Amino acid sequence: MNFATSPVLELTLPAWRSRFVALLVFCGFAVLAGRAVYLQGLHNAFLQAKGESRYGRIIETSANRGRITDRHGEMLAVSTPVKSIWAIPEEVKFEGPQLSKLAGLLGMPEREITNRIAETGGDFVFIKRQIPPEVADRVAELHIRGLFQDREYRRYYPSGEVTAHVLGFTGAGDAGLEGVELAFQEHLAGKAGSRRVIRDRLGQIVEDVESIRAAQQGKDISLALDAKIQSLAFSQLKAAVIRHRAKAGSIVALDVGTGEVLALANVPTYNPNNRAQLSGAQLRNRAVTDTFEPGSTLKPFTIAAALESGRITPQTKIQTAPGRFTIGAATIRDAHPEAVLSVEQIIQKSSNVGAAKIALSLPAESLWDMFQSVGFGAVPRLGFPGEVAGRLRPYKTWRPIEQATMAYGHGISVSLLQLAHAYSIFARDGGIVPLSLTRVDLPGTPRSVITAQTARRVRHMLELAAQVGGTAPRAQIAGYRVAGKTGTAHKQENGTYAAHKYVSSFVGFAPASNPRLIIAVMIDEPSDGRYYGGEIAAPVFSRVMEGALRLTGVPPDAPMRPVEMPAKGQEVEESI
Amino acid sequence: MQRISPSRTPMAEYDASLLWTALGLLMFGLVMVYSASIAVAETSKFAGGKSSYFLVRHSIFLATSLVAGMLVFQVSMRRWQQVAPFLFTTGVVLLALVLMPGFGREVNGASRWLSLGIVTVQPSELMKLFAVLYAADYTVRKAALMHSFKRGLLPMLVVMLIVGWLLLHEPDFGAFVVITAIATTILFLGGMNGRWFAALLALLAVGFAGLVLSSPYRMQRIFGFMDPWSDPYGKGYQLSHALIAFGRGEWLGVGLGASVEKLLYLPEAHTDFLLAVIGEELGFAGVSVVIALFAWLVIRAFSIGRLAVKLERPYSALVAQGIAVWLGVQALINMGVNMGVLPTKGLTLPLMSFGGSGILANCVALAILLRIDWESRQMMKGQPA
Repeated sequence: MNFATSPVLELTLPAWRSRFVALLVFCGFAVLAGRAVYLQGLHNAFLQAKGESRYGRIIETSANRGRITDRHGEMLAVSTPVKSIWAIPEEVKFEGPQLSKLAGLLGMPEREITNRIAETGGDFVFIKRQIPPEVADRVAELHIRGLFQDREYRRYYPSGEVTAHVLGFTGAGDAGLEGVELAFQEHLAGKAGSRRVIRDRLGQIVEDVESIRAAQQGKDISLALDAKIQSLAFSQLKAAVIRHRAKAGSIVALDVGTGEVLALANVPTYNPNNRAQLSGAQLRNRAVTDTFEPGSTLKPFTIAAALESGRITPQTKIQTAPGRFTIGAATIRDAHPEAVLSVEQIIQKSSNVGAAKIALSLPAESLWDMFQSVGFGAVPRLGFPGEVAGRLRPYKTWRPIEQATMAYGHGISVSLLQLAHAYSIFARDGGIVPLSLTRVDLPGTPRSVITAQTARRVRHMLELAAQVGGTAPRAQIAGYRVAGKTGTAHKQENGTYAAHKYVSSFVGFAPASNPRLIIAVMIDEPSDGRYYGGEIAAPVFSRVMEGALRLTGVPPDAPMRPVEMPAKGQEVEESI
Repeated sequence: MQRISPSRTPMAEYDASLLWTALGLLMFGLVMVYSASIAVAETSKFAGGKSSYFLVRHSIFLATSLVAGMLVFQVSMRRWQQVAPFLFTTGVVLLALVLMPGFGREVNGASRWLSLGIVTVQPSELMKLFAVLYAADYTVRKAALMHSFKRGLLPMLVVMLIVGWLLLHEPDFGAFVVITAIATTILFLGGMNGRWFAALLALLAVGFAGLVLSSPYRMQRIFGFMDPWSDPYGKGYQLSHALIAFGRGEWLGVGLGASVEKLLYLPEAHTDFLLAVIGEELGFAGVSVVIALFAWLVIRAFSIGRLAVKLERPYSALVAQGIAVWLGVQALINMGVNMGVLPTKGLTLPLMSFGGSGILANCVALAILLRIDWESRQMMKGQPA
């Protein structure tokens, strides 16, 4: 190494250049510090707003739907927490046996799951909703990428088909679609609240920022229904419909004092917890939405109108021989021709000729008044969907034959609920209170329709009808005095009466000394050869009434001994 | 020698503040890498859903790098100067290997990694160190020829063009910028002719412009940075999320671990965009601590370099200042990118971001810096280095 090339001598490292470079780097750091102050201290509101728009979300917080209980607090409809399984199609990834395990847990074919994901694309698809929490937990344990769960509610009806028509059910978005669920939608449904949250990029909530509006929980409802009576009524009705191979049937039980609906059931029915295959027939709440020509169950109202007018007394004799009565071209017949019958006997034996003659002795208006003042021809306004008014034509258009047939329940149509309600005037002393689906703590003041005397007189006649010698001895109950009336009517088809299609019914109340419960039973098209209301509907009434009286703790008003039944061949057949 | 005044107290054996600054950055980095990587680790397939995946790896990198640093500290500067050309050549070979099919590993469209059995190395990170060592050696060796363009500047220019060409083919634009800055600064500090230097800068400026304009990929990165809000879900996606992170952090941050941006919104949160997460979780306070630590690191490195100049150890002096420029410029660019004052490019935050090769190269560089300082102190005590 020579002198000229010696690095030590040649290399100069000017101090200013070092300082210059260091200064440049420092300026850089200073600029960065300034930038940080700007971003974090001055410009942060703008940036935070941008951030909020990226991952801030306002989510709905679901409100729990109110519970429905019976009058004693037993749960009839509750919302149970369930899970929904959803996926981000772009991110979902099955590894190994994950797909087959998932399919097994959800009870879906693998292909259906993959199709769902493939068809939707985008960033959200429900795989399955309303999954029981324990199944959802096992799905979570599979740790499938891109698969998530959310909490939701499922409406559950512990008593299933027994209360199906009363309660109805809810549909998408927890909205009531039928029955009480629809009638009390406003009351039961809560108001969803909303919260501002921060979600991560996969949609999971990572931070709960603030509550915008608190969720308003739905309110509970205590129905008038008595679950035990309801269950009894349903099972007896169902048994009768099966035994008599009937098309359908309905039953209604009312509290005389309060107008509360203690039981209401129809057959056929459905399981509201599993509505996979539902037919229109199953869905129909027949006791409320279907009307029928009631037949003889209407006779007591004709008699009551006549008693009120003062034209007759219970002992007034009416000639019903020869069991036929011709008005113009039409003839009214009795099943068993009798001779002279008292008014009492006309009810007891259910004579059409007698009832028609009494009706014709009255002005049309007073009969019409009686019918409409007990609620026929008017919607009951309980809140059920599809409630019907029935048919009660204005009296000015009545022809004499119509007035005569209406006396025994033809040419007029009512729903079973209306009919049961109308019997209040006999069960009470002439008054009537509005019906109620919910529990009534303070009964309203009754509206008086007939005098107490008339009510007691008809009540006595109805008691006779439900004894040996009447049309409905099978309505009797050991230990209680029972009053009631059978009905058997031809069904109308295409404007004429069908020869072998009947509606059998019975409406009655007990105990007759101080009535507490009204029960109305209707069996549609019994087809095992028998069709009289006294044979088909009265036994159902008897069993349900007996159980209901004991369940409600009503003291007996008759000696406890086996009920008397008429000897074979001595039954009183009702006139149709 | 007369310009150095002896201290009253016995001089320490090494630069303690530099060591603590470096260790501070490494540990701070470890904590933030963990915080920023949890969400990524939990959702990423290769991490197997383990939230500590990156923490464990980064800890292993740190331990390895610290051991490597201790070993490197034993190596004298004389030895470094001897092996510098060899190391540089090795670096070039590795860079070439990366581009060869069968050797390089491609991630996100860039071949920057080399699989060596169980470990994967990123040659461009090592190349930054080798460039410092080589450029300093070159400058010292060619001191007498610095006035000659043909024999002084041209060979270096050719070598750097080769390296630059290799880096741009990976592509690793960030490493290219840092290595160019290192080489240019060392030549500048080594006393290169001022006029040539100006010409070289002009040439570089033209070259950069050409590179940027020639590639739509680089163009896009440039324009994304100019206004991230014009296309916040496309080109400006990453930067807009980084800026949101800073804005959310305000002065004191949302709290360690509470970043939302790291929850898969901000890509590369644990590597290139670690500062954004620091900004969000620890606020301006956290960011200014990082800036201050890097500033102090650069100050110390320049002081060590100037001390070596005074002790007439030009190679050590240039290496020390080269390291200062390397760490300083890379930190500046990374932070500038995070805060949206520089175009986005793939550069990590030295000593802090996740990455094995990067941490290793940084720690080795700091060990060399400490060695230079230690040798200077030994000389001042009259002992042979």
